[in-house]
Amino acid sequence: MGRLERKNTLIAYSFLAPNFIGFAVFTLVPVVLSIAMSFTEWNGGSLANMHWTGLKNYADIFKSAKVGSTMAESGFFAGLGYFFNKVDLGIALKNTVFYTLVTVPLSLVCSIMLAMALNKAVKGAVGFRTIFFFPYVASMVAICVCWNFMLMKNGPVNQLLMNLGINFNKSWTADSTMAMWAIILVSVWRNMGYYMVIYLAALQGVPRELYEAATVDGANKWQQFRNVTLPQLRPTTFFASIMLIISCFKIYDTVAIMTAGGPGRSTKMLVLYIFQEAFEQYKYGTASAIAMVLLVVVLTVTVIQFSNEKKFAND
Amino acid sequence: MKKLLALVLAAVMLISVVSFAAAEEKKTLTIVAWDATTTAYLAEQKAAYEAEHPDVEIVYVDVPSQDWTTDMATKLNDDKFDIFMVKDVPSLLNWYKANALLPLNDYIEKAGFDLSGFKGMDEYYKFDGNQVALPFRSDFEVLFYNKDLFDAAGVAYPTNDMTWEQYKEKALALTNTDPANPIYGTFYHTWLSTAVNYTVADGVNTLLDGNYDDLAYFYQIIQDLEDAGACITFNEAKAAGLHYSGVFGNGNVAMMPMGYWYVATLADKIASGEYKVKNWGIASMPVKEGVKPGSTFGNLTGVSINAVSKNPDLAWDYIAWLCGEAGAKVTAATGNRPAWVSEDVAEVLAAKEGFPTDEGSKAVLLPTFVAIEIPGTDNTAAISAVLNEEHSNIMTRTVSIEEGIEAMNERVGEILGQ
Repeated sequence: MGRLERKNTLIAYSFLAPNFIGFAVFTLVPVVLSIAMSFTEWNGGSLANMHWTGLKNYADIFKSAKVGSTMAESGFFAGLGYFFNKVDLGIALKNTVFYTLVTVPLSLVCSIMLAMALNKAVKGAVGFRTIFFFPYVASMVAICVCWNFMLMKNGPVNQLLMNLGINFNKSWTADSTMAMWAIILVSVWRNMGYYMVIYLAALQGVPRELYEAATVDGANKWQQFRNVTLPQLRPTTFFASIMLIISCFKIYDTVAIMTAGGPGRSTKMLVLYIFQEAFEQYKYGTASAIAMVLLVVVLTVTVIQFSNEKKFAND
Repeated sequence: MKKLLALVLAAVMLISVVSFAAAEEKKTLTIVAWDATTTAYLAEQKAAYEAEHPDVEIVYVDVPSQDWTTDMATKLNDDKFDIFMVKDVPSLLNWYKANALLPLNDYIEKAGFDLSGFKGMDEYYKFDGNQVALPFRSDFEVLFYNKDLFDAAGVAYPTNDMTWEQYKEKALALTNTDPANPIYGTFYHTWLSTAVNYTVADGVNTLLDGNYDDLAYFYQIIQDLEDAGACITFNEAKAAGLHYSGVFGNGNVAMMPMGYWYVATLADKIASGEYKVKNWGIASMPVKEGVKPGSTFGNLTGVSINAVSKNPDLAWDYIAWLCGEAGAKVTAATGNRPAWVSEDVAEVLAAKEGFPTDEGSKAVLLPTFVAIEIPGTDNTAAISAVLNEEHSNIMTRTVSIEEGIEAMNERVGEILGQ
């Protein structure tokens, strides 16, 4: 390597070093330790209390013994039913997946619609963009407390529903079905501003000529949207959906403040479950094991999405 | 400009170093407590101890009470802290298992500390023979009642030997569902303890035995009262984040089962004019048929020494003072019931300004039997979590009482079976 080349390489590394050191110390090392910790049991005190337990934590969180015996007695689906309805990890997985499956499409649809609406130079468009983006930067705690009040039994949302003829006579967060929808509502409301901004930027990048060509060919607005805009937005949609899926699997603050996993376990999410195991039950090994499950799930989903990249990305 | 900035910064650093050195003259005792800025007795205890020991300065590290369990997890094994206050036995057990506490057995023996004043409550802080903490407050649940509302409705005051049936009758009789000025017969805070812990007052049932059929009795009472409009529903209380202190203080709730600690807050806030309620009293908690009147459940608040504290002797000196008769009198003077029981301490308690003057209320100060809310065992934390989840299911009417209790039995049975 020539002197100049070496000097350039050194300069490059020195620019990368601070960020990488930070990443290594605060992310990489803890993640690796967490993987190791999932095979131990530790109650958070002195390190002398850490005991190697092998796969016991995983057996515990999956309740493999009970699930296995249920499957042997009553069949495969009975065992699965037991896992997803009675075991904490199964319930958390089910809730988180349901939440993700609903929130991601809803957020994407709402953000695209908002972006389309505000893309034109309408009067006050900039003001509206700010208003829609604001929830994303506002304090999560403040948002959740306000929404809790709005979703109370005689709160504004229920009164609006009554005026529309739907008589829902319960506080949303006190009902085991609606509590999940309360969280979905708050999340979508918060996400749509952020992804609206991303889509706005992407929409700017759609070449005008394509629309003009489509108009010449006789396409109406809806056909233009379906056949010009959406395909052009595929890379953005791919990016947005990956970000959304990952952040949905990591949902914690909304749930902790609005429902604390309740009523019962109807809104118990994976990260909330990890938090409870680690900091309320002092079982760091078990919590790490659950975190590993979360890691594997998110990794699988992301890998599947990336392997389909050819389909989604523009050539 | 840059030179000036550098000089200023250096001067600031120098000053801070000097002041830090100067501050080292006094011995500092660092105590981790919850709601340190709003809890009256903490300030009084600090002042009283510092008056007797002028060379010691007590510093409270404040943690909000709802974050207590999680925040404490980060404070164990940190030698900055000398004393940890003990909020509940399950957490204490976790700290003990994490080897974060200094056992007090040697100190107690050397000082000849007499444990009999605790009437056996100190046993709850003993694990495997290690006395890891001593209690300085022993709260128990009593029934607060609003005398003015009882007079207005012409209903007799609660007595110290009521049954739950009589309590329910009074609650219904006192209820006025007029939307302009609603009067509620009673109020239940959203905790599991205020709803059903009364079951342990018989000294037989506990919350850890895996059988919760006895809780159905109390859940039924609450739901009947909710349906009759005699108390604010759990859903409303939860969603609005209602705090019992404000609700009773507002003067439109006739009765409220709550911990004795509320006496101090009530007395202070009525004196300052913040609360609308004027005349109030306390009565012994109602009991089921066959249980001795004056039986209730309670909790301990204590102090423990950090295993890696740099001032263990000073910490013990404070603990011995705080939990013994001297500290007990200071705590009693603030209106909080100390763990140390004696006639003198009871006198101080009853003499507190604002304490109701009727004989019935005074008699409550010497309970017949106080069962601990939830003893500390290996499974306590896991069982508490399960009970709280099913409690919210039952109270929000997501499931019926029978289904909820069945779920409790099943899930706790699994934990106990492991």
